[in-house]
Amino acid sequence: MSEALNPFKVAQAQFDEAAEQLGLESSMRELLRWPRREYKFTIPVRMDDGSTQVFHGYRVQYNDARGPTKGGLRWHPEETLDTVRALAAWMTWKCAVVDIPLGGGKGGVTCDPKKLSDGEKERLARGWIRVVARELGEHRDVPAPDVYTTPQIMAWMMDEYETMVGRSHPAVITGKPLPLGGSQGRNDATARGGVYTVREACKALGVDPNGAYAVQGFGNAGQFAALLHEEILGGGTLVAVSDTSGGIYNPDGMDPKEIVDYKLKQGKVSGFPGTKPISNEELLELDVNVLYPSALENVITADNATNIKAKISCELANGPTTPEADEILFKNGVHVIPDFLANAGGVTVSYFEQVQGTYNYYWPLAEIHEKLDARMTLAYQEVRAMQQEMNVHPRLAAYLVSVTRVAEAVKLRGWV
Amino acid sequence: MSSGISGLDQLIHGFHLGDNVVWQVETLAQYRHFANALLDQAVRDQRTFVYIRFGTHEPVLGPGPGLAIESFDPRAGFDVFSAQVNRIISNWGERVFYVFDNLSCLVDLWATDELLTNFFQATCPYLFELDTVAYFALDRGRHADEAVTRIRDTTQVLLDTFQINNALHVRPLKVWQRHSPHMFLPHRVEREAWIPVPQSEVPPTVLAHETTAPWDAVYAELKVLYSLDRAGREEERVEALQELLTRMLLGNDEKILRLAEEHLTLAVLMHVRRRVVGSGRIGGKAAGMLLARAIVRNTCKDVSPAFPLLDEDSFHIGSDVFYTFLVHNDLFRMRLSATRAGEVSREEFEEVEARFLKGSFDEARIREFRALLEEVGESPIIVRSSSLLEDGFGNAFAGKYRSEFCVNRGSMEARLESFMRAIKLVYASTLNPDALSYRRNRAMLENDEQMAILVQRVSGTSHGRYFLPTLAGVAFSRNLYAWTDRIDPRVGMIRLVFGLGTRAVNRVSRDYPRMIAVSHPELRPEIGEEVTTYSQRHVDVLDMDGGGFRTVRMSEILKEGRYPVLHLLVSTRQDGYLTEPVGRRVDHAADVVLTFNRLLKETPFVRMVGRMLSALEAVYEQPVDTEFTASVALNGHVEINILQCRPMWLPGATDHVDFPEEIESDQLLYRTDRFINGGVVDPIRFMLYIDPKAYSLLGDEGIRKSLPRVVGQINRDPRIKGGRIMMMGPGRWGSGNPELGVGVGYADIDQVSVLVEVAYEEDGHVPEVSYGTHFFQDLVEAEIIYIALYPGRADTDFNEYFFGSAPNNLTDFFPELEPYAGIVHLIDVPGCRGGRHVRLVADPDSRRAVCYLE
Repeated sequence: MSEALNPFKVAQAQFDEAAEQLGLESSMRELLRWPRREYKFTIPVRMDDGSTQVFHGYRVQYNDARGPTKGGLRWHPEETLDTVRALAAWMTWKCAVVDIPLGGGKGGVTCDPKKLSDGEKERLARGWIRVVARELGEHRDVPAPDVYTTPQIMAWMMDEYETMVGRSHPAVITGKPLPLGGSQGRNDATARGGVYTVREACKALGVDPNGAYAVQGFGNAGQFAALLHEEILGGGTLVAVSDTSGGIYNPDGMDPKEIVDYKLKQGKVSGFPGTKPISNEELLELDVNVLYPSALENVITADNATNIKAKISCELANGPTTPEADEILFKNGVHVIPDFLANAGGVTVSYFEQVQGTYNYYWPLAEIHEKLDARMTLAYQEVRAMQQEMNVHPRLAAYLVSVTRVAEAVKLRGWV
Repeated sequence: MSSGISGLDQLIHGFHLGDNVVWQVETLAQYRHFANALLDQAVRDQRTFVYIRFGTHEPVLGPGPGLAIESFDPRAGFDVFSAQVNRIISNWGERVFYVFDNLSCLVDLWATDELLTNFFQATCPYLFELDTVAYFALDRGRHADEAVTRIRDTTQVLLDTFQINNALHVRPLKVWQRHSPHMFLPHRVEREAWIPVPQSEVPPTVLAHETTAPWDAVYAELKVLYSLDRAGREEERVEALQELLTRMLLGNDEKILRLAEEHLTLAVLMHVRRRVVGSGRIGGKAAGMLLARAIVRNTCKDVSPAFPLLDEDSFHIGSDVFYTFLVHNDLFRMRLSATRAGEVSREEFEEVEARFLKGSFDEARIREFRALLEEVGESPIIVRSSSLLEDGFGNAFAGKYRSEFCVNRGSMEARLESFMRAIKLVYASTLNPDALSYRRNRAMLENDEQMAILVQRVSGTSHGRYFLPTLAGVAFSRNLYAWTDRIDPRVGMIRLVFGLGTRAVNRVSRDYPRMIAVSHPELRPEIGEEVTTYSQRHVDVLDMDGGGFRTVRMSEILKEGRYPVLHLLVSTRQDGYLTEPVGRRVDHAADVVLTFNRLLKETPFVRMVGRMLSALEAVYEQPVDTEFTASVALNGHVEINILQCRPMWLPGATDHVDFPEEIESDQLLYRTDRFINGGVVDPIRFMLYIDPKAYSLLGDEGIRKSLPRVVGQINRDPRIKGGRIMMMGPGRWGSGNPELGVGVGYADIDQVSVLVEVAYEEDGHVPEVSYGTHFFQDLVEAEIIYIALYPGRADTDFNEYFFGSAPNNLTDFFPELEPYAGIVHLIDVPGCRGGRHVRLVADPDSRRAVCYLE
């Protein structure tokens, strides 16, 4: 794997830039450049045919200065320790930027869940817990679902953990099914959090919330962004949407709910009645007030950044903008709400689930929305303030907020 | 015109041009006497004289001057025989004199009077048109009155010949457009003038007729023998008759006959025979179904309750009825010319269908149809094609002929009307463009293709206004959809749907049956939200309140009330993920998604289908392809109703493949162990190679996006179609995302023999190729061999040099595609490799494929 594509090297480079801006001392830099603890282990699983297959599992606890580490579990055939490390670092910054009292972690198993029966998945989930249980707990480390892991898998894991410790422990894991202590509002949390920040950005920048918006990528986050934008901003016209099948465009506006239904049935958005086809690239360059890049990494690059006409780019996807493009957008006055702020709604509601589980007391949906709104609004305002104070692009501003908070905790603990 | 016998000339006032003359004779000698006289006269008159020789009896005429002899073999079947005779008559042209062999011998071969009569009715009007004079003979007293009546109605002259007191007598039964006071009295044959004999002098027994056609005679005798107990009957005779009955019902395919001998009891055959309307065979589909049901019950005795007999649900319309319909409605020659041309356009077919729909059945047949419907009662029925070639060994005919549902409710007249309409539509479908091109491609246009019909009660239950089976689908004993190494391709696969099986059989857009690997039922290539996208959302049903066959949304079904075993069929989608219902309660407010998850986990359904498939494959001695419906009770008991079973047509070779072990390295093009369907493809003339590296470096998005159109143009070009083409290109073909691979649609590659996806490993990341995608399903069904090539892997060889250095003939064939020449290589292999072609061998046993220059 080349250095440029190694995600952990990228995460370290991003941290280094923030550390440089903040003038952190070298010992602090060294501590925050690396995970505090890494677990790499094997999980033997009895397969349905009686054979045994050995899977490779990981858990990285990147930094717990601000509280117990928190982060998802990925079950992916191409999972590597470096991917998990990078994602654990980003979780650390993400938790800090929304100021929830948690550190960052991540875990995974190298496997293809499509090739596992439900029984095999259950044994793998329980096997993973049996190896790392002693390192978990709502006061140590709290896993959650991520790529290819589901609420059902979280339920098996919680059950295995509770069986091992011999008592109820719903807060050991989040993203559980509702009947087992899952939280209301989790399904749309990522998009909802992002749209709250867009609302705040419109206010701060004087952008008309009734203007046009476009959604690139139509998975969970993209779909809910399309649906919630109008509800939360009190207006707005959805003019374009795209997914891997291509995009659709109608300058007069489209009904997001109808497109979501269409996508569910057809598996794609292209062909939605009353729209013109548009490429993903053309969509990104539309003259809209708000753009939601919600699909892949590196879609806004040095090649097309100068053509981006959106006033606000809310990064629901991870890493849609390359570092070179960030500079161009900043110079051109495109206001980027960086990924780890824009999509922090998911981890915030996960944190709420952890809190509810700890108290064994569950909040109604309205309360979740209210608390999420407060967190996201405050986080946006703090990043905005940092950006103005330091005169840097918003991504760096968000890093500065996070790294400062983590460094502060490290300092107070007397580690450095 | 003289017959050569003055007494006869006087009696019937000589022959007219156009006369067909049928002699009912007691002996061949009687016929020979009159035929020779005609020949002598014709020679004197210098007429063209042709003897149509097909009988098993002694020749009627010996070779001699002035006589042409045309020989035929009626064992090829009615269809082929009629077509050949028709063609010869056409070649000889007008005003020819003919003597045909004794028609009665056809009954021995074809078992029924009906086909003989059909042959006569199809041939005689044509001879009349051509102004010929033709002699035919029938054995007196061997044929049913009905048959003789039809022949009499068709011919111009019918003469009954018999002996009384050793004296030959002739009685004209019909002489068209000629009259005299005594013409229709029996006449004693004398040398010069024939003497009329009063009717009263003819003993009554002389005039009695009763058919001895095997169709009725064998059955009549078997009925008597069958009623006796075993001790009282002669087993050898029973066995001989059973074999005859089997042949009459199932045809002469040796493999089918062997299976029938081993697995169909006399009781089953008698049962089937009782339920045949008209006469003739029951066709390949019905035969496959009967055999499969019997095989599974005989060989899987421990699970036989899961495979009920259901033999009261099936009825047959014999294949002879098809020809009677054609002849009766003057459609026979239209069909003949269409079949001969081998092509009917969609527009022409609409006319053909309209003509079939205008056709009628005779009163006797309609009475039989009415009796059939009375026996069925008001259950919905399906009228299914069951042609002789259909479902045979090597010819699947999948979906080429029509099947029609009838709601079968209301007044008898209305039910009868829609039933007959369904039959006519199935009959017309023998001429549909797909069927003809399928037969043409397989050189089967000349084969005997008779259309029998299988009439079945639709299995299922009423649910509100709808009628539907709980489960239906197709099951294959080999899995061509093994998208992961974990799945054992030697164990079968199931395409399962809720409701009528049309949804599993037909290709429907954006709606997906559940694909089940029998070896690993729970595994599926989709994950997360994809499961919802790739699920069945529409259900095929019979709408009993009108409309008949319909496709409705799943939600429409649920509106009709609680479906009893819904909890086994669906998952519910809440909060972005799927869960299984708890107990038997399904939350109707939730989104339901047809996953069949609990059916697969909690019932023996898959195990039963697996048993069925392995039993059938073992007995058929080759992979099989089946259709079924199934029901499941609340207690999980499963019943499977086999509707169809045929040898499975694997793309390429089905048998063992001789794998070439030693290939010179410069002859080798590639070698891999990643492919799905085995076989041998050769000779391949063209290779279309889209350079994966050039593709990944393409800066111009326009070129990338227009590549599918270019591929489609090459695919459809008649110059390329004629020479077999292998296409190779990067990543995932058929993907909507040009980043992932060439975004072709099915129509862009439907003429391709082999499709190769080339996946380069870069930075440890191997792009997932099309295994398990639905595009891939199209490839399997279109019999396109699919191969995934991972250059750089230890088990893969790839001769990049060949593809890089072979001359690109793209612009020679398509000058306008010049802008694509840098990326699309069209290699005309024989042109650059000294006339040599490419050969691909994919061995399903050893899971190895190799492609090389021959």
